[in-house]
Formats: sequence, C-alpha cells, structure tokens
Amino acid sequence: MSTLSYQEKSLYGTLAADLLVYVPYFIYVMHHPTTLTHIVGTIILLIVAHIMLQSIVAIASRNRITDERDRQIAGLGYRNAYFALVSMILLGMGMLWVHSVEGLINPNHMGLHFLSVFLGMVVISELVKIATQLIAYRRSI
Amino acid sequence: MGGIRNNVRDLRAALDMTQQQLADRIDLTRQTVIAIEGDKYSPSLETAFRIANVFGVPLEQVFQYHDDRKGSRKR
Repeated sequence: MSTLSYQEKSLYGTLAADLLVYVPYFIYVMHHPTTLTHIVGTIILLIVAHIMLQSIVAIASRNRITDERDRQIAGLGYRNAYFALVSMILLGMGMLWVHSVEGLINPNHMGLHFLSVFLGMVVISELVKIATQLIAYRRSI
Repeated sequence: MGGIRNNVRDLRAALDMTQQQLADRIDLTRQTVIAIEGDKYSPSLETAFRIANVFGVPLEQVFQYHDDRKGSRKR
C-alpha cells in the first residue's frame, strides 16, 4: 500500500496554511471594507503559517528526496495554475472594462480593489496547483 | 491497456529486494517504484536503464512496449 510521500505531505501542509489564512481573510473582507493593513497582514500571516507547517512536515518526514515523477507532477500543477491565472486575468480585464463603462468603479478605492482581486486570483491559482498535484499523486501518474 | 509494461515486481521479488531498497539504489521515492510496478508511471529512459542495471538484465527484459493501435489502424 502506498503511504504519503514527503511531497504529498508538503502539499497538504501548503494547503492547510493557505486555507488557515485565506478563508478567515476572505470571510472578513466579504463583510468589511478591506484596507492595505489587512492585505499586508494576510501576506505576513501566510508566510509565517507556511514556514511553521513546512517545518513540521520536514521534521515528520524521514525521506525528503525529490525524484523525476515529483518534478513531472510539479510541472503539471504549474501548467494548470498558469492557465487558471491567465483565464482569471483575462476575465478580470473584461470585468474592469464593463465596470468602467457602466461607471461602477469608485476611483478612490481602485488600488485596494485591484490588490484584493489580484490576491484572490493568486489564491485560486495556488489552489488549482495544489489540487492538480494531489490528484496526480493519488492517481499515481 | 497499451503502453509500457514491466516486470519490475517479479525481478525485485527474485532478488528478495524491498521497494524501498530498489528506490534507494536508483534515487527514486518508494511511491514512484509503486507507481512503476503498477504500470501507472513510465520512468524516463535513464531511470529505466538504471533499474535494468540493478537487476543485471537487458532493458527489454524489464520493460516491454505494447502498441494497441496496431490492430485498430485501417490500411
């Protein structure tokens, strides 16, 4: 029976760190106006959570080697994440154009709005990458 | 199913070698050896040669290519 490799454990650690930081953040910004402090704080928290969880995974794993299959699966993850990111950027550009034409964008909040939307795109791309890699590992490609 | 098949499991068993021991000899993870033995992952040519070297047999004795498209192709 196959047990989890170091790479899989590391991916679950990354997923846990992402969910731990981003879920509360996005729940908060859905109900409150976002500020630069929130976004910077979220990024700092994310870095701290990643370091802590990856350290735990590294300590708990005996065999930390990476082989050709790991690199192939990582490439697959990055490819899908790239397509997701490009699709969302194109969609975002289209929405920006529509909102500008309709006059729905407040010019005073443009910077923070963009920052928040870009952060959301990065999060979704990251989740696509992790999901692709975990599925690939489970399917044993 | 077409593609590359292998006898890694049988050859490993003949040498009384564990999956981890084989993985260590060819710098792979045990999970990759499991995937190769299950015909779910085709290793690179270099890794295939290294596996054959560990068993001391020619490459074609470890890996065989089955082309299922031959029968279905119209001429």
